[in-house]
Amino acid sequence: MLETRQAEAGTTMPKLSLSSVSSGYGPVAIIEALSLAIAPGQIFALMGKNGMGKTTVLKTILGFVALRSGDIRLDGASISGVSQASLIASGVGYAPQEQALFQDLSVRDNLRLALRSDRGFAEAVERVYGHFPFLRERLSQRAGTLSGGEQKMLILGRALMLRPKLLLIDEISEGLQPSVVERIATALKEERRSNGTTILIVEQNLPFALGIADSWAVLKLGRIDDAGDVSEGTAARVMQHLKI
Amino acid sequence: MTLLLDMVTTAAILFIVAAGLLAIFGVLKIINFAHGAWLTIGAYCAVATAGLGLNPWAALPIAFAVGAILGGITEQVIVRPLYRRPLDAILATWGLGIVIGQLITLWFGRDVQFTPNLLSGTVDVFGVGYSLYRLFAVAAALVIGLAFTFLLEGTRLGLSAQAVIMNETLARALGIDTARVRLATFMVGTGLAALAGVLLTPLTSVDPNMGVAWLIGSFMLVMVAGSSFSTLAIACLVFGGAQVLVSTFVSPIFGGITVAVLCALVLRISPKGFARA
Repeated sequence: MLETRQAEAGTTMPKLSLSSVSSGYGPVAIIEALSLAIAPGQIFALMGKNGMGKTTVLKTILGFVALRSGDIRLDGASISGVSQASLIASGVGYAPQEQALFQDLSVRDNLRLALRSDRGFAEAVERVYGHFPFLRERLSQRAGTLSGGEQKMLILGRALMLRPKLLLIDEISEGLQPSVVERIATALKEERRSNGTTILIVEQNLPFALGIADSWAVLKLGRIDDAGDVSEGTAARVMQHLKI
Repeated sequence: MTLLLDMVTTAAILFIVAAGLLAIFGVLKIINFAHGAWLTIGAYCAVATAGLGLNPWAALPIAFAVGAILGGITEQVIVRPLYRRPLDAILATWGLGIVIGQLITLWFGRDVQFTPNLLSGTVDVFGVGYSLYRLFAVAAALVIGLAFTFLLEGTRLGLSAQAVIMNETLARALGIDTARVRLATFMVGTGLAALAGVLLTPLTSVDPNMGVAWLIGSFMLVMVAGSSFSTLAIACLVFGGAQVLVSTFVSPIFGGITVAVLCALVLRISPKGFARA
Protein backbone atom coordinates (compact mmCIF):
# COMPACT_ATOMS: atom_id res chain seq x y z
CA MET A 1 0.00 0.00 0.00
CA LEU A 2 2.71 2.43 1.04
CA GLU A 3 4.88 1.51 -1.93
CA THR A 4 1.91 2.12 -4.19
CA ARG A 5 1.38 5.57 -2.74
CA GLN A 6 5.06 6.42 -2.97
CA ALA A 7 5.06 5.30 -6.56
CA GLU A 8 2.03 7.48 -7.15
CA ALA A 9 3.81 10.36 -5.46
CA GLY A 10 6.59 9.99 -7.96
CA THR A 11 4.32 10.02 -10.96
CA THR A 12 1.35 12.14 -9.94
CA MET A 13 1.09 15.72 -8.87
CA PRO A 14 1.36 16.20 -5.10
CA LYS A 15 -1.86 17.12 -3.35
CA LEU A 16 0.06 19.71 -1.37
CA SER A 17 3.56 20.98 -1.92
CA LEU A 18 5.64 23.58 -0.14
CA SER A 19 8.72 24.85 -1.99
CA SER A 20 11.36 26.80 -0.09
CA VAL A 21 8.69 28.33 2.12
CA SER A 22 9.69 30.98 4.64
CA SER A 23 7.24 32.70 6.95
CA GLY A 24 7.01 34.29 10.37
CA TYR A 25 5.50 36.93 12.59
CA GLY A 26 6.69 40.52 12.17
CA PRO A 27 10.46 40.58 11.96
CA VAL A 28 10.79 37.06 13.42
CA ALA A 29 11.25 34.24 10.93
CA ILE A 30 9.69 30.98 12.13
CA ILE A 31 9.79 28.81 9.01
CA GLU A 32 12.84 28.92 6.75
CA ALA A 33 13.23 27.38 3.32
CA LEU A 34 10.85 24.55 4.11
CA SER A 35 10.02 22.12 1.32
CA LEU A 36 7.78 19.10 1.40
CA ALA A 37 5.36 17.30 -0.88
CA ILE A 38 2.40 15.21 0.14
CA ALA A 39 0.89 12.80 -2.35
CA PRO A 40 -2.87 12.42 -2.78
CA GLY A 41 -4.27 10.11 -0.13
CA GLN A 42 -1.11 10.24 1.96
CA ILE A 43 -1.03 10.83 5.71
CA PHE A 44 1.98 12.94 6.60
CA ALA A 45 3.11 13.53 10.18
CA LEU A 46 5.02 16.72 10.92
CA MET A 47 6.67 16.39 14.31
CA GLY A 48 8.96 18.41 16.50
CA LYS A 49 9.35 19.90 19.93
CA ASN A 50 7.33 22.88 21.10
CA GLY A 51 8.23 26.15 19.40
CA MET A 52 9.80 24.58 16.32
CA GLY A 53 7.22 26.06 13.94
CA LYS A 54 4.83 23.16 13.35
CA THR A 55 1.65 25.15 13.89
CA THR A 56 3.10 28.02 11.87
CA VAL A 57 3.45 25.67 8.89
CA LEU A 58 -0.30 24.97 9.00
CA LYS A 59 -1.12 28.65 9.50
CA THR A 60 1.12 29.57 6.57
CA ILE A 61 -0.65 27.05 4.33
CA LEU A 62 -3.98 28.58 5.35
CA GLY A 63 -2.74 32.13 4.85
CA PHE A 64 -2.99 33.19 8.50
CA VAL A 65 0.76 33.78 8.55
CA ALA A 66 2.13 35.71 5.59
CA LEU A 67 4.38 33.89 3.17
CA ARG A 68 7.73 35.70 2.91
CA SER A 69 9.16 33.61 0.13
CA GLY A 70 8.62 30.30 -1.60
CA ASP A 71 5.45 28.79 -2.99
CA ILE A 72 2.61 26.66 -1.69
CA ARG A 73 0.64 24.64 -4.20
CA LEU A 74 -2.61 22.73 -3.86
CA ASP A 75 -3.23 20.29 -6.70
CA GLY A 76 -0.48 22.09 -8.60
CA ALA A 77 -2.00 25.55 -8.33
CA SER A 78 -0.39 28.23 -6.20
CA ILE A 79 -2.48 29.21 -3.20
CA SER A 80 -0.42 32.20 -2.12
CA GLY A 81 -2.83 35.03 -1.42
CA VAL A 82 -5.90 32.83 -1.75
CA SER A 83 -8.50 33.61 0.93
CA GLN A 84 -9.34 31.11 3.64
CA ALA A 85 -12.93 31.04 2.39
CA SER A 86 -11.74 29.96 -1.08
CA LEU A 87 -9.35 27.38 0.35
CA ILE A 88 -12.02 25.79 2.52
CA ALA A 89 -14.47 25.86 -0.39
CA SER A 90 -11.91 24.05 -2.55
CA GLY A 91 -11.81 21.15 -0.10
CA VAL A 92 -9.34 22.02 2.64
CA GLY A 93 -10.36 21.12 6.20
CA TYR A 94 -8.66 22.43 9.33
CA ALA A 95 -8.75 21.21 12.91
CA PRO A 96 -6.93 23.85 14.98
CA GLN A 97 -5.27 23.13 18.30
CA GLU A 98 -6.31 26.14 20.36
CA GLN A 99 -9.59 28.04 20.69
CA ALA A 100 -10.95 25.66 18.12
CA LEU A 101 -14.61 25.69 19.14
CA PHE A 102 -17.25 28.33 19.63
CA GLN A 103 -17.69 27.43 23.26
CA ASP A 104 -20.97 29.30 23.76
CA LEU A 105 -22.64 27.85 20.68
CA SER A 106 -24.30 24.45 20.60
CA VAL A 107 -22.68 21.36 19.13
CA ARG A 108 -25.18 21.63 16.25
CA ASP A 109 -24.22 25.24 15.49
CA ASN A 110 -20.51 24.40 15.63
CA LEU A 111 -21.14 21.68 13.05
CA ARG A 112 -23.40 23.94 10.96
CA LEU A 113 -20.62 26.50 10.72
CA ALA A 114 -18.54 24.04 8.72
CA LEU A 115 -21.05 24.34 5.87
CA ARG A 116 -21.99 27.46 3.93
CA SER A 117 -25.67 26.58 3.97
CA ASP A 118 -27.91 24.25 5.95
CA ARG A 119 -28.68 22.27 2.84
CA GLY A 120 -26.70 19.07 3.14
CA PHE A 121 -26.35 19.35 6.92
CA ALA A 122 -28.37 16.21 7.65
CA GLU A 123 -26.31 14.11 5.27
CA ALA A 124 -22.98 15.54 6.41
CA VAL A 125 -23.73 15.15 10.09
CA GLU A 126 -24.85 11.54 9.60
CA ARG A 127 -21.41 10.80 8.17
CA VAL A 128 -19.79 12.43 11.20
CA TYR A 129 -22.00 10.34 13.54
CA GLY A 130 -20.44 7.33 11.83
CA HIS A 131 -17.11 8.34 13.37
CA PHE A 132 -18.37 9.86 16.62
CA PRO A 133 -21.86 8.54 17.48
CA PHE A 134 -22.04 10.42 20.82
CA LEU A 135 -22.53 13.70 18.92
CA ARG A 136 -26.04 12.61 17.91
CA GLU A 137 -27.19 12.89 21.53
CA ARG A 138 -25.32 16.13 22.21
CA LEU A 139 -26.46 18.38 19.37
CA SER A 140 -28.22 20.84 21.67
CA GLN A 141 -25.46 20.90 24.28
CA ARG A 142 -23.19 23.91 24.52
CA ALA A 143 -19.83 22.95 23.02
CA GLY A 144 -17.95 24.41 25.97
CA THR A 145 -19.60 21.92 28.32
CA LEU A 146 -18.25 18.85 26.49
CA SER A 147 -15.30 17.01 28.02
CA GLY A 148 -11.84 17.65 26.57
CA GLY A 149 -11.90 14.45 24.52
CA GLU A 150 -15.42 15.11 23.26
CA GLN A 151 -14.41 18.62 22.23
CA LYS A 152 -11.51 17.23 20.21
CA MET A 153 -13.83 14.77 18.48
CA LEU A 154 -16.23 17.61 17.74
CA ILE A 155 -13.38 19.66 16.27
CA LEU A 156 -12.41 16.78 14.01
CA GLY A 157 -16.04 15.97 13.21
CA ARG A 158 -16.60 19.56 12.15
CA ALA A 159 -13.54 19.46 9.91
CA LEU A 160 -14.92 16.28 8.29
CA MET A 161 -18.37 17.79 7.61
CA LEU A 162 -17.27 19.06 4.19
CA ARG A 163 -15.53 15.78 3.26
CA PRO A 164 -12.25 17.63 2.75
CA LYS A 165 -9.73 16.44 0.20
CA LEU A 166 -6.93 17.87 2.30
CA LEU A 167 -7.15 17.85 6.07
CA LEU A 168 -4.78 19.86 8.28
CA ILE A 169 -4.77 18.75 11.91
CA ASP A 170 -2.92 20.49 14.72
CA GLU A 171 -1.95 18.36 17.75
CA ILE A 172 -5.37 16.83 18.14
CA SER A 173 -4.19 14.07 20.49
CA GLU A 174 -2.73 16.45 23.07
CA GLY A 175 -3.91 15.58 26.58
CA LEU A 176 -6.31 12.87 25.47
CA GLN A 177 -6.74 9.43 26.99
CA PRO A 178 -5.62 6.53 24.79
CA SER A 179 -9.16 5.34 23.99
CA VAL A 180 -10.07 8.73 22.52
CA VAL A 181 -6.80 8.91 20.59
CA GLU A 182 -7.63 5.48 19.17
CA ARG A 183 -11.08 6.64 18.06
CA ILE A 184 -9.56 9.66 16.35
CA ALA A 185 -6.94 7.50 14.63
CA THR A 186 -9.65 5.12 13.42
CA ALA A 187 -11.73 8.03 12.11
CA LEU A 188 -8.78 9.46 10.18
CA LYS A 189 -7.82 6.13 8.64
CA GLU A 190 -11.45 5.50 7.68
CA GLU A 191 -11.78 8.97 6.14
CA ARG A 192 -8.65 8.40 4.08
CA ARG A 193 -9.87 4.97 2.99
CA SER A 194 -13.39 6.06 2.05
CA ASN A 195 -12.71 9.56 0.71
CA GLY A 196 -9.07 9.45 -0.35
CA THR A 197 -8.39 12.34 2.01
CA THR A 198 -4.85 13.63 2.18
CA ILE A 199 -3.94 14.41 5.78
CA LEU A 200 -1.19 16.56 7.26
CA ILE A 201 -0.98 16.09 11.01
CA VAL A 202 1.17 18.13 13.33
CA GLU A 203 1.91 16.01 16.37
CA GLN A 204 4.12 15.30 19.34
CA ASN A 205 2.39 12.02 20.16
CA LEU A 206 4.66 9.55 18.35
CA PRO A 207 2.62 6.34 18.73
CA PHE A 208 -0.48 8.11 17.38
CA ALA A 209 1.30 9.94 14.55
CA LEU A 210 3.41 7.04 13.37
CA GLY A 211 0.48 4.66 13.82
CA ILE A 212 -1.47 6.35 11.04
CA ALA A 213 1.14 8.18 8.95
CA ASP A 214 2.81 7.01 5.75
CA SER A 215 5.57 9.61 5.88
CA TRP A 216 7.02 11.91 8.47
CA ALA A 217 9.30 14.84 9.00
CA VAL A 218 10.83 16.41 12.08
CA LEU A 219 10.88 20.17 12.22
CA LYS A 220 13.66 21.92 14.07
CA LEU A 221 13.80 25.71 14.28
CA GLY A 222 11.66 26.07 11.20
CA ARG A 223 13.63 23.65 9.02
CA ILE A 224 13.19 19.99 8.18
CA ASP A 225 15.75 18.20 10.37
CA ASP A 226 14.95 14.67 9.25
CA ALA A 227 12.29 12.96 7.17
CA GLY A 228 11.32 9.63 5.71
CA ASP A 229 8.65 7.02 5.23
CA VAL A 230 7.27 5.29 8.28
CA SER A 231 9.00 1.97 8.93
CA GLU A 232 9.99 -0.18 11.89
CA GLY A 233 12.87 1.98 13.03
CA THR A 234 11.09 5.31 12.60
CA ALA A 235 9.96 5.73 16.21
CA ALA A 236 13.50 5.40 17.60
CA ARG A 237 14.84 7.72 14.92
CA VAL A 238 12.24 10.38 15.60
CA MET A 239 12.69 10.00 19.34
CA GLN A 240 16.32 10.99 18.95
CA HIS A 241 15.20 14.29 17.49
CA LEU A 242 12.58 14.93 20.13
CA LYS A 243 14.85 14.30 23.14
CA ILE A 244 15.24 17.32 25.36
CA MET B 1 -49.55 55.95 35.19
CA THR B 2 -48.39 58.61 32.74
CA LEU B 3 -44.98 58.59 34.39
CA LEU B 4 -44.69 54.83 33.97
CA LEU B 5 -45.74 55.03 30.33
CA ASP B 6 -43.24 57.86 29.77
CA MET B 7 -40.47 55.69 31.25
CA VAL B 8 -41.33 52.70 29.06
CA THR B 9 -41.79 54.71 25.86
CA THR B 10 -38.58 56.69 26.43
CA ALA B 11 -36.73 53.39 26.89
CA ALA B 12 -38.27 52.14 23.64
CA ILE B 13 -37.17 55.25 21.76
CA LEU B 14 -33.63 54.97 23.14
CA PHE B 15 -33.56 51.29 22.11
CA ILE B 16 -34.69 52.13 18.57
CA VAL B 17 -32.01 54.80 18.27
CA ALA B 18 -29.16 52.73 19.75
CA ALA B 19 -29.94 49.36 18.11
CA GLY B 20 -28.14 50.13 14.84
CA LEU B 21 -25.07 51.33 16.68
CA LEU B 22 -25.03 48.16 18.78
CA ALA B 23 -25.39 45.91 15.73
CA ILE B 24 -22.25 47.45 14.23
CA PHE B 25 -20.30 47.55 17.50
CA GLY B 26 -21.24 43.97 18.41
CA VAL B 27 -19.86 42.40 15.26
CA LEU B 28 -17.32 44.90 13.95
CA LYS B 29 -16.00 46.11 17.30
CA ILE B 30 -15.91 49.67 16.05
CA ILE B 31 -18.07 52.59 17.06
CA ASN B 32 -19.76 54.23 14.09
CA PHE B 33 -19.61 57.87 15.11
CA ALA B 34 -21.51 58.74 11.95
CA HIS B 35 -24.53 57.03 13.55
CA GLY B 36 -26.11 60.41 14.28
CA ALA B 37 -25.72 61.36 10.62
CA TRP B 38 -27.58 58.21 9.58
CA LEU B 39 -30.41 59.13 11.94
CA THR B 40 -30.50 62.46 10.14
CA ILE B 41 -30.43 60.80 6.72
CA GLY B 42 -33.44 58.72 7.78
CA ALA B 43 -35.31 61.78 9.00
CA TYR B 44 -34.65 63.58 5.72
CA CYS B 45 -35.90 60.51 3.86
CA ALA B 46 -39.18 61.19 5.68
CA VAL B 47 -38.99 64.84 4.56
CA ALA B 48 -38.30 63.80 0.97
CA THR B 49 -41.05 61.19 1.02
CA ALA B 50 -43.50 63.84 2.19
CA GLY B 51 -42.20 66.23 -0.44
CA LEU B 52 -42.92 63.65 -3.13
CA GLY B 53 -46.45 63.26 -1.83
CA LEU B 54 -45.96 59.60 -0.86
CA ASN B 55 -47.59 57.86 2.08
CA PRO B 56 -45.60 58.87 5.19
CA TRP B 57 -45.18 55.19 6.14
CA ALA B 58 -43.32 54.62 2.89
CA ALA B 59 -40.45 56.56 4.47
CA LEU B 60 -39.64 53.55 6.68
CA PRO B 61 -38.56 51.09 3.95
CA ILE B 62 -37.10 53.91 1.85
CA ALA B 63 -34.96 55.12 4.75
CA PHE B 64 -33.83 51.59 5.58
CA ALA B 65 -32.80 50.99 1.95
CA VAL B 66 -31.06 54.37 1.58
CA GLY B 67 -29.29 53.96 4.92
CA ALA B 68 -28.17 50.42 4.11
CA ILE B 69 -26.89 51.30 0.63
CA LEU B 70 -24.97 54.35 1.87
CA GLY B 71 -23.70 52.23 4.76
CA GLY B 72 -22.47 49.57 2.34
CA ILE B 73 -20.54 52.16 0.35
CA THR B 74 -19.11 53.64 3.57
CA GLU B 75 -18.03 50.22 4.85
CA GLN B 76 -16.19 49.40 1.66
CA VAL B 77 -14.58 52.80 1.08
CA ILE B 78 -13.92 54.19 4.55
CA VAL B 79 -14.39 51.65 7.34
CA ARG B 80 -12.93 48.43 5.87
CA PRO B 81 -9.29 49.63 5.84
CA LEU B 82 -9.66 50.75 9.47
CA TYR B 83 -10.87 47.60 11.24
CA ARG B 84 -7.45 47.08 12.78
CA ARG B 85 -7.30 50.77 13.76
CA PRO B 86 -10.48 51.35 15.78
CA LEU B 87 -9.39 54.80 16.98
CA ASP B 88 -8.86 55.92 13.40
CA ALA B 89 -12.25 54.42 12.55
CA ILE B 90 -13.85 56.60 15.23
CA LEU B 91 -12.19 59.71 13.80
CA ALA B 92 -13.05 58.78 10.22
CA THR B 93 -16.72 58.11 11.01
CA TRP B 94 -16.91 61.28 13.12
CA GLY B 95 -15.55 63.25 10.16
CA LEU B 96 -17.96 61.50 7.83
CA GLY B 97 -20.82 62.52 10.09
CA ILE B 98 -19.78 66.16 9.77
CA VAL B 99 -19.54 65.86 5.98
CA ILE B 100 -22.99 64.29 5.77
CA GLY B 101 -24.43 67.06 7.95
CA GLN B 102 -22.95 69.68 5.61
CA LEU B 103 -24.21 67.90 2.51
CA ILE B 104 -27.72 67.77 3.97
CA THR B 105 -27.45 71.49 4.77
CA LEU B 106 -26.42 72.20 1.18
CA TRP B 107 -29.32 70.20 -0.19
CA PHE B 108 -32.14 71.04 2.23
CA GLY B 109 -30.90 74.20 3.98
CA ARG B 110 -30.48 74.89 7.69
CA ASP B 111 -34.17 75.37 8.46
CA VAL B 112 -36.13 72.99 10.59
CA GLN B 113 -38.20 70.67 8.42
CA PHE B 114 -41.60 69.26 9.19
CA THR B 115 -42.97 65.86 8.36
CA PRO B 116 -46.51 64.55 8.50
CA ASN B 117 -47.44 62.59 11.60
CA LEU B 118 -47.15 58.86 11.26
CA LEU B 119 -49.81 58.43 13.93
CA SER B 120 -51.69 61.17 15.74
CA GLY B 121 -54.05 61.36 18.67
CA THR B 122 -54.22 59.68 22.03
CA VAL B 123 -55.45 56.40 23.32
CA ASP B 124 -56.94 55.56 26.70
CA VAL B 125 -54.60 53.45 28.86
CA PHE B 126 -56.11 52.52 32.24
CA GLY B 127 -58.08 55.76 32.29
CA VAL B 128 -55.19 57.93 31.12
CA GLY B 129 -55.07 59.50 27.69
CA TYR B 130 -51.65 58.78 26.18
CA SER B 131 -49.91 59.53 22.88
CA LEU B 132 -50.68 56.81 20.38
CA TYR B 133 -47.37 57.40 18.62
CA ARG B 134 -45.30 56.91 21.79
CA LEU B 135 -47.10 53.60 22.37
CA PHE B 136 -46.40 52.68 18.77
CA ALA B 137 -42.70 53.33 19.52
CA VAL B 138 -42.84 50.55 22.13
CA ALA B 139 -44.28 48.16 19.54
CA ALA B 140 -41.63 49.28 17.04
CA ALA B 141 -38.86 48.63 19.58
CA LEU B 142 -40.27 45.16 20.28
CA VAL B 143 -40.44 44.39 16.55
CA ILE B 144 -36.86 45.59 16.05
CA GLY B 145 -35.66 43.57 19.06
CA LEU B 146 -37.48 40.43 17.90
CA ALA B 147 -36.30 40.89 14.31
CA PHE B 148 -32.71 41.18 15.51
CA THR B 149 -33.09 38.14 17.73
CA PHE B 150 -34.43 36.18 14.76
CA LEU B 151 -31.70 37.52 12.48
CA LEU B 152 -29.00 36.58 14.96
CA GLU B 153 -30.32 33.22 16.12
CA GLY B 154 -32.51 32.06 13.28
CA THR B 155 -30.51 32.75 10.13
CA ARG B 156 -27.19 31.71 8.63
CA LEU B 157 -26.06 35.35 8.54
CA GLY B 158 -26.78 35.57 12.26
CA LEU B 159 -24.89 32.36 13.00
CA SER B 160 -21.94 33.60 10.97
CA ALA B 161 -22.12 36.97 12.76
CA GLN B 162 -22.09 35.20 16.13
CA ALA B 163 -19.05 33.22 15.01
CA VAL B 164 -17.29 36.42 13.95
CA ILE B 165 -18.15 38.07 17.28
CA MET B 166 -16.84 35.11 19.29
CA ASN B 167 -13.70 34.22 17.37
CA GLU B 168 -13.06 35.80 14.01
CA THR B 169 -9.89 33.82 13.31
CA LEU B 170 -11.70 30.54 13.82
CA ALA B 171 -14.61 31.79 11.71
CA ARG B 172 -12.16 32.47 8.88
CA ALA B 173 -10.54 29.08 9.37
CA LEU B 174 -13.94 27.50 8.79
CA GLY B 175 -14.28 29.34 5.50
CA ILE B 176 -16.70 32.02 6.64
CA ASP B 177 -16.37 35.09 4.44
CA THR B 178 -15.92 37.50 7.32
CA ALA B 179 -15.66 40.50 4.98
CA ARG B 180 -19.18 39.76 3.72
CA VAL B 181 -20.48 39.31 7.25
CA ARG B 182 -18.99 42.69 8.21
CA LEU B 183 -20.47 44.39 5.14
CA ALA B 184 -23.92 42.90 5.76
CA THR B 185 -23.78 43.86 9.43
CA PHE B 186 -22.74 47.43 8.67
CA MET B 187 -25.56 47.73 6.15
CA VAL B 188 -28.10 46.37 8.62
CA GLY B 189 -26.80 48.73 11.33
CA THR B 190 -26.90 51.84 9.16
CA GLY B 191 -30.24 50.84 7.62
CA LEU B 192 -31.63 50.52 11.10
CA ALA B 193 -30.18 53.90 12.11
CA ALA B 194 -31.92 55.55 9.16
CA LEU B 195 -35.14 53.73 10.05
CA ALA B 196 -34.81 55.10 13.58
CA GLY B 197 -34.42 58.57 12.08
CA VAL B 198 -37.87 58.26 10.47
CA LEU B 199 -39.37 57.01 13.71
CA LEU B 200 -37.92 60.03 15.53
CA THR B 201 -39.51 62.62 13.22
CA PRO B 202 -42.81 62.90 15.12
CA LEU B 203 -40.90 63.40 18.38
CA THR B 204 -38.18 65.84 17.46
CA SER B 205 -37.43 68.63 15.03
CA VAL B 206 -35.72 67.67 11.79
CA ASP B 207 -32.60 69.66 11.04
CA PRO B 208 -29.14 68.81 9.66
CA ASN B 209 -27.68 68.33 13.16
CA MET B 210 -30.57 66.48 14.78
CA GLY B 211 -28.64 63.19 14.99
CA VAL B 212 -25.80 64.66 17.05
CA ALA B 213 -28.03 65.08 20.08
CA TRP B 214 -28.83 61.36 20.05
CA LEU B 215 -25.30 60.13 19.39
CA ILE B 216 -23.75 60.50 22.84
CA GLY B 217 -26.63 58.81 24.66
CA SER B 218 -26.64 55.94 22.16
CA PHE B 219 -22.89 55.58 22.41
CA MET B 220 -22.99 55.42 26.20
CA LEU B 221 -25.84 52.89 26.18
CA VAL B 222 -23.93 50.66 23.76
CA MET B 223 -20.80 50.90 25.91
CA VAL B 224 -22.84 49.69 28.87
CA ALA B 225 -24.67 46.98 26.91
CA GLY B 226 -21.63 45.42 25.22
CA SER B 227 -22.83 43.36 22.27
CA SER B 228 -26.10 42.06 23.66
CA PHE B 229 -29.49 43.32 22.50
CA SER B 230 -31.23 42.04 25.62
CA THR B 231 -28.74 43.95 27.78
CA LEU B 232 -29.31 47.03 25.64
CA ALA B 233 -33.03 46.72 26.31
CA ILE B 234 -32.36 46.52 30.07
CA ALA B 235 -29.97 49.49 29.92
CA CYS B 236 -32.56 51.53 28.00
CA LEU B 237 -35.24 50.70 30.58
CA VAL B 238 -32.97 51.59 33.52
CA PHE B 239 -31.41 54.76 32.13
CA GLY B 240 -34.42 55.88 30.08
CA GLY B 241 -36.54 55.47 33.19
CA ALA B 242 -34.04 57.47 35.19
CA GLN B 243 -34.06 60.19 32.54
CA VAL B 244 -37.83 60.56 32.82
CA LEU B 245 -37.69 60.63 36.64
CA VAL B 246 -34.97 63.26 36.69
CA SER B 247 -36.75 65.35 34.04
CA THR B 248 -40.00 65.17 35.96
CA PHE B 249 -38.82 65.63 39.53
CA VAL B 250 -35.57 67.58 39.19
CA SER B 251 -35.15 69.43 35.92
CA PRO B 252 -35.59 68.64 32.21
CA ILE B 253 -32.09 70.04 31.67
CA PHE B 254 -30.57 67.50 34.05
CA GLY B 255 -32.85 64.89 32.50
CA GLY B 256 -31.18 65.49 29.17
CA ILE B 257 -27.80 64.45 30.51
CA THR B 258 -29.01 61.68 32.82
CA VAL B 259 -28.34 58.77 30.42
CA ALA B 260 -24.79 59.89 29.64
CA VAL B 261 -23.93 60.62 33.29
CA LEU B 262 -25.36 57.40 34.70
CA CYS B 263 -23.76 55.30 31.97
CA ALA B 264 -20.42 56.96 32.70
CA LEU B 265 -20.84 56.15 36.40
CA VAL B 266 -21.65 52.50 35.63
CA LEU B 267 -18.61 52.24 33.36
CA ARG B 268 -16.48 53.82 36.08
CA ILE B 269 -17.57 51.16 38.57
CA SER B 270 -17.72 48.26 36.09
CA PRO B 271 -15.61 49.02 33.00
CA LYS B 272 -17.26 46.22 31.07
CA GLY B 273 -20.75 47.53 31.71
CA PHE B 274 -23.86 45.45 32.31
CA ALA B 275 -23.23 42.71 29.79
CA ARG B 276 -20.12 41.21 31.31
CA ALA B 277 -20.24 42.73 34.79
